[in-house]
Amino acid sequence: MSVQSQPQSQEPILDVRSVSKRFGGVEALKDVSMSLYPGEVVALAGDNGAGKSTLIKTISGVHGADGGEIRFAGEAVHFASPEAARAHGIETIYQDLALADNLSIGANIFLGREPMKRVLGFIPVLDRPAMAKAAKETMARLDFHVNRLDAPVGRFSGGQRQAVAIGRAIYWNARVLIMDEPTAALGVPEQRKVVSLIQNLKAQGRAIIFISHNLQDIFAVADRIVVLRRGTLAGERKISETNPDEIVKLMVGG
Amino acid sequence: MSAHTSTESRADPTQSRSRQLIVRIAALRAWLFLALLLIFFETWSRVSYGQTFLFSSYNAQSIAIFAVAPLLLALGSTFVIISGGIDLSVGFIMGLAAVIAAHATNLAGQSLPPFAAMLVGITAGLVVALGPGFVNGVLISKLKVPPFIGTLGMFGVARGVAFLLAGGTTVPVSNSWFAALGNGRVFGFPIIVIITVLFVLLMHYVLSQTRFGQHTYAIGANEQAAIRSGINVPRHIRRLYLLSALCAGLGGVLYAARFTAGAAQAGEPLLLDSIAAVVIGGASLFGGSGTILGTVAGALVIAVIQYGLVFINVEPFWQFVAVGVVIIISVLVDQTQRKLGGDRQ
Amino acid sequence: MKKVAKALAALAVGVSVLAGTVAAQAQDKKFTIALIPGLTTDGFYITMRRGAEAAAKAVGAELVFQGAPEFNPVLQVPVLDAIIARKPDAILIAPTDKVQLVEPLKKAHAAGIPVITVDTFIGTGNYQTGAGDADFPLSYIASDNVLGGRMAARALAKAIGEKGKVYVSNVKPGISTTDQREEGFKAEMKNFPGIEVLETQFNDNDSNKAASQMQSVFARNSDLAGVFGANLFSALGAANGVQQAGQTGKVRVVAFDAPPSIVDNLKTGLVDIAIAQHPAEIGFFGVMSAFAHLTGQSIPTAIGTGFTVMDKDNVAKPEIAQFIYTD
Ligand SMILES: Nc1ncnc2c1ncn2[C@@H]1O[C@H](COP(=O)(O)OP(=O)(O)OP(=O)(O)O)[C@@H](O)[C@H]1O
Ligand SMILES: [Mg+2]
Repeated sequence: MSVQSQPQSQEPILDVRSVSKRFGGVEALKDVSMSLYPGEVVALAGDNGAGKSTLIKTISGVHGADGGEIRFAGEAVHFASPEAARAHGIETIYQDLALADNLSIGANIFLGREPMKRVLGFIPVLDRPAMAKAAKETMARLDFHVNRLDAPVGRFSGGQRQAVAIGRAIYWNARVLIMDEPTAALGVPEQRKVVSLIQNLKAQGRAIIFISHNLQDIFAVADRIVVLRRGTLAGERKISETNPDEIVKLMVGG
Repeated sequence: MSAHTSTESRADPTQSRSRQLIVRIAALRAWLFLALLLIFFETWSRVSYGQTFLFSSYNAQSIAIFAVAPLLLALGSTFVIISGGIDLSVGFIMGLAAVIAAHATNLAGQSLPPFAAMLVGITAGLVVALGPGFVNGVLISKLKVPPFIGTLGMFGVARGVAFLLAGGTTVPVSNSWFAALGNGRVFGFPIIVIITVLFVLLMHYVLSQTRFGQHTYAIGANEQAAIRSGINVPRHIRRLYLLSALCAGLGGVLYAARFTAGAAQAGEPLLLDSIAAVVIGGASLFGGSGTILGTVAGALVIAVIQYGLVFINVEPFWQFVAVGVVIIISVLVDQTQRKLGGDRQ
Repeated sequence: MKKVAKALAALAVGVSVLAGTVAAQAQDKKFTIALIPGLTTDGFYITMRRGAEAAAKAVGAELVFQGAPEFNPVLQVPVLDAIIARKPDAILIAPTDKVQLVEPLKKAHAAGIPVITVDTFIGTGNYQTGAGDADFPLSYIASDNVLGGRMAARALAKAIGEKGKVYVSNVKPGISTTDQREEGFKAEMKNFPGIEVLETQFNDNDSNKAASQMQSVFARNSDLAGVFGANLFSALGAANGVQQAGQTGKVRVVAFDAPPSIVDNLKTGLVDIAIAQHPAEIGFFGVMSAFAHLTGQSIPTAIGTGFTVMDKDNVAKPEIAQFIYTD
């Protein structure tokens, strides 16, 4: 029943098959399947609590699935930790941003993978200049210019922090980018920036999962849309073959 | 997200220079306190007694020796507190290590030459200290026991074991090398002070220049973020409590060397002073901030107050008041600084 | 002091007679006497227990030894409650607080269990006076700490040639025993016009602090001649301060109490003089007094036990060494 948006000869980079996840009594995901191809943007839509974040956390290794299978580039994978998913080239922007507020932009970008250098030839130390440089370049790509690269991100505004979280994900040149409501905290001009950034990344051949409540954004960037309702797959449409009304109907049911 | 919106934003760190200055000063507050205290005692001493306080190497050394034990406990606590935890067991881990080091040195001394016996004693003290640290780490990282409760339990266990091993008394050590380690001097500097300085430099390096230190800050600020960045947080927490126990163990070993005796209650009175040193040094008990150099200043502040008030012959109870006031001021400065948006490492 | 000594002698005679004559009677009714120390892990109380056991054996009574691992009323009271529930024939206790132990001990009194306090006391320590609500214990048996302080002062004065500055290194105010030692020390020092007693330094039982205080006092008083450590940690701390200041042998250190480690400290010269209490005697007289009371004898309301002054030269002698506390 999978609908493909592009004439795909290749196999999907990511293939989620019948995944289930429960939290105690709550069945957050029931038998959900979706796939993602290189160079494709798939939007994930659904009401609050539909299971969108749970689905992407299951993909990114935060939660283990209770049932089903996840295949990455043709192979079955079990990501025991977020690090395992990142090692496969899956970067995630979480809804809560997951930033360490006391650290600089650079330190956040490199958190868990800090570059080291040696002083006096043998003492390994954090390569802070390299982190600051990467931070500056990455932020410039997002049109976000900061003067004090050593300032902790906790001092930035919500939108700026969102940009840091996006910057952290794109820095690593991931094959799959997952963005959980990346535009939620942004003003209108910034939302446009993110939308154009997504279009850029797509042009570079990245595969992107994009979660949003904003149907306008979804219709602007996505190739396909997957709709969840109360933990189940409510439907899947090509953007070119649907309209907002139909999507809303899928979301609310009936 | 353009250059414009970012510089106009309310929370931009480059906003106000005066505000930034306040934040900078607040970050260095422990050293500022220390300077003020030294100026105070120096002035008093010169005016009242016509002698110097600070520039007497005797006073400086006395204060340094005094600060050694609480500082060693505080170094480990700095890491733990930055990660958002607390280690209440360090006082008794110190006592345990002191008792073990004393016993082991004596025991080894029966068959080994004194120098080797001392090395056995030191190693035994440090290794045994790691035991409670390991249990702390497992309780907190695996069994999800809150640090306050877990280390409080370990406080009781370590104390009980130390008292049992000590047989309810102090354990005298007779080993000339060990005594020289505790009370000897090299180039005029007390050996225990030299060891502590080297250890401080090592801890400063670990906290400020390594991934381990960086991850400690990240865990304290946002444990979820650390997990999702791929940091093995449970393992990191276990290592933190091991490190804290190691510092306490070193404190215990040096105590035994200095007093040529191990005492189970050696570290008991130091727990609060060591945590106070960390807080005065700029760490937040909520985690995420603090530095080793701040902690050093914090420990020196406490030592200078206590030594200095005896020096100028003030009623002893004022010592408690003075330390209490410094802690309160310190926390107030911290709060103000946070309000001004001055979160920092 | 004389009064107490007389009472003691009378009691000792009385008890020894009793122990002989009532041996048969004691077999019918084996008394259970509980001893609750200030803390269980301290050599002082362990030695006290030894003396108590010796007495119990002599009179055919059973001794129950139960206490908390720490000198703290919050921990001692539950132990006391548990002991009361077992209804022993008498309770010997080292109360951990003058005030906080009054109500808990009243329960024992109300249950008809005679109470004798050892080492420390409740209320004023004056019992059976009919005044106040803490006079119900039958007797207070302890080292005469004021006397101990005086003996320390005399020994120190002699060691420093009766001139120079000295001070007391003490734990904290409010502990009856250490307060009395300081009081006795200062009172006795008034007899030595050449000696000036400086302000007391309180160290919270932290030898690290006691050492630093000694160094600081010396920084201001280069003519410092001696320190009196009112308990073991105060003395060991002060002694280390003397050592760090390079004044070993010049600034004399008197330690109160004599755990096994004191022998070493005296030999190495770290400590010059130790004042040993006689805790075994306290335990012995405690049990004997309880037994005397239970067999219908009247007992003195206060018994003071003695001290032994130890130094490098006499500590090896068996008649002195017997007063070192056991492990
Ligand atoms: N860690 C958790 N523990 C328990 N229940 C959870 C947990 N995470 C999510 N849930 C539950 O799972 C269900 C799906 O939540 P999820 O966060 O995936 O929704 P969502 O579609 O992302 O909603 P939103 O649009 O509000 O972000 C909800 O009922 C939520 O309460
Ligand atoms: Mg969500």
